[in-house]
Amino acid sequence: MSTQPPATNAKESTQDVVATVFREEWGRIVAALIHRTGDWDLAEECAQDAFTQALARWPGDGVPPRPGAWLMTVARNRAIDRLRHGNVRATRLRQIAALAPTGATGPDEEAGVTEQLSPSEDSGVPDERLRLMFTCCHPAMAMEARVALTLRTLAGLTTAEIARAFLVPETTMAKRLVRAKQKIAHAGIPYRVPPASSLPQRTSGVLAVLYLLFNEGYSASAGTELVRKSLCDDAVMLAGVLAELMPEEPEVKGLLALMMFHRSRQAARVDQQGELVTLDAQDRAQWDQAAIEQAKQVLDEAWAKKKPGPYQLQAAIAGCHALAPQAEMTDWPRIAKLYDQLLDMTGSPVVELNRAVAVAMADGPAVGLALVNELEASGALQHYYLLAATRADLLRRLGQRAEAAAAYREALALVATGPEQRFLAARLAEVTR
Amino acid sequence: MQYMLIHVQPTDLDHEMGQTWQPDASLTAWLEETIPSGVNLQGSRLRPSSDATTLRSRQGELIVTDGPFAETKEQVAGYDVLECPDIDEAVRWASKHPTLLAGTIEVRPLLDSPPPMPLPEQKEGTLRYMMLVCLGEDFQMGPQDQSEMGPATDAWVKEMHGRGARLFGSRIEGPDRARTVRRKGTDLLVTDGPFAETKEQIAGFDVLECADLDEALEVAAKHPMAKFGMLELRPFWPPEEP
Repeated sequence: MSTQPPATNAKESTQDVVATVFREEWGRIVAALIHRTGDWDLAEECAQDAFTQALARWPGDGVPPRPGAWLMTVARNRAIDRLRHGNVRATRLRQIAALAPTGATGPDEEAGVTEQLSPSEDSGVPDERLRLMFTCCHPAMAMEARVALTLRTLAGLTTAEIARAFLVPETTMAKRLVRAKQKIAHAGIPYRVPPASSLPQRTSGVLAVLYLLFNEGYSASAGTELVRKSLCDDAVMLAGVLAELMPEEPEVKGLLALMMFHRSRQAARVDQQGELVTLDAQDRAQWDQAAIEQAKQVLDEAWAKKKPGPYQLQAAIAGCHALAPQAEMTDWPRIAKLYDQLLDMTGSPVVELNRAVAVAMADGPAVGLALVNELEASGALQHYYLLAATRADLLRRLGQRAEAAAAYREALALVATGPEQRFLAARLAEVTR
Repeated sequence: MQYMLIHVQPTDLDHEMGQTWQPDASLTAWLEETIPSGVNLQGSRLRPSSDATTLRSRQGELIVTDGPFAETKEQVAGYDVLECPDIDEAVRWASKHPTLLAGTIEVRPLLDSPPPMPLPEQKEGTLRYMMLVCLGEDFQMGPQDQSEMGPATDAWVKEMHGRGARLFGSRIEGPDRARTVRRKGTDLLVTDGPFAETKEQIAGFDVLECADLDEALEVAAKHPMAKFGMLELRPFWPPEEP
């Protein structure tokens, strides 16, 4: 009897390994190649070639002890080949040749050296992904271009996958990517981490792209759910990389924690009929406790820097919800205080509305209603359905059914479609029964 | 007197993808006629509007956007600065330019009198940008800001000249002093007014030489007009590239 597992299983598991390594190494390889060649298309193509070779060779040869270094070497050699055939100056070839991972373990050299190498994922090449992130998220490009470029070059999504996630034809997405790369080259967008003077502003630009990516995936619409879930995963992965590369910037960890808290509740957000379930009605047993614990740790690390920012505060609020074993045990007074701070920082009327909700939970609906009415009088949130919906909810809790019904109708008139509309209609039926 | 020729071409998708009209023999002939005679002081083709970046500063916040200062069917595609005795002469030179085969030329007198010199040799590792100083729809300026604008601009010019980031520039006369030259079939059409009747208008320009777009944005952000108008940064089309 053979001790070897059936060949098909070995192949499958190698594919799994390649998929995992792809996630971890794609961005790193592309970032390093762009740094050395300045050629974005070449970098992507050579990274792609390296993974294709891995898929062809690893099932037979076995997975090398340092897959990242193996891939980097293959990609680098491919780039040198390609540039040799093109008309390139020697300086550039030397720059790429310098991309030899320490203790090179390319497919041709790996026999003999493998013994001394630790089985680490490290590719042995400086991590240039931070440059790549800042370049992809440069404000001189349209937001949609920043998002697409980030997904393509850092997360390794194909053009077709990105197109599907954003519900546009593949040709449109392909053009968007070509245009973005062209703009980088033509307009002289530098491939670097910005200097200290503009770093805070540019960092929040990168965070905004990652959060948009996450929200795009999180506000799941049926049918494309799988694609969208992977957007959330990509956003979390990239925020994790950024947190690793910018350990001194607590807002990065703040965003990471915020996304992790949100994601921990994903399973309980939608019921079997596909309807949205509000936070207080969610089955908390479905929340991912391990993920919540991880998110809390990340947030604690950020908090320890004593430099609060909007993402850390939002994460802290999400944490208050995630850590309450039951809805009734939510620490509303603390949430209200956190919203106070967030309001000071952002001055956003939406934050003010959320603060009113928290105050209503902490001090009673009458106090909350007074705040909502004040906000309404300011005119800042005209035509925002959640303002009317919040007022309706508070009136309902105060037993003012007729006023509540009027407010629900007002909110319903402002919301176009979807689960929100069905939720409001159900509540309206309740108060008019 | 110096005049700015603003070359304008239709913006369509192919144009955006960089496939624009190519300089050919007729352009070479035009340049050979105008440069040695000292009429043409400087000029360049510019990258298409899809490579443009526009900057403005409002309430202390810097706003950077992708694209040109105004979305119009026609876009600035290049410029020349001519030294001519009067605007009729400048229009006469414009009417011979091959841009008219596919586009339009707007002629505007320069308001300042910058030294009539060609641009210096480009430094290694730099990019050149046309910075168009534009007045937007929301443009308004109080009397105090108006009186401070002159000295503030002079200070900016001095600083940016000093560090080699600004090579040339001038305010230009308003759109009411513009002449627009087009060709319809074999007929030459010269009209008063700008190439496009938009609320946004070009009020001046500066030629920048910077390490990259970040430096150009930093230089532009310091321009006193950033608070009131919009500054469009348009890379020069490198002469060695077709």
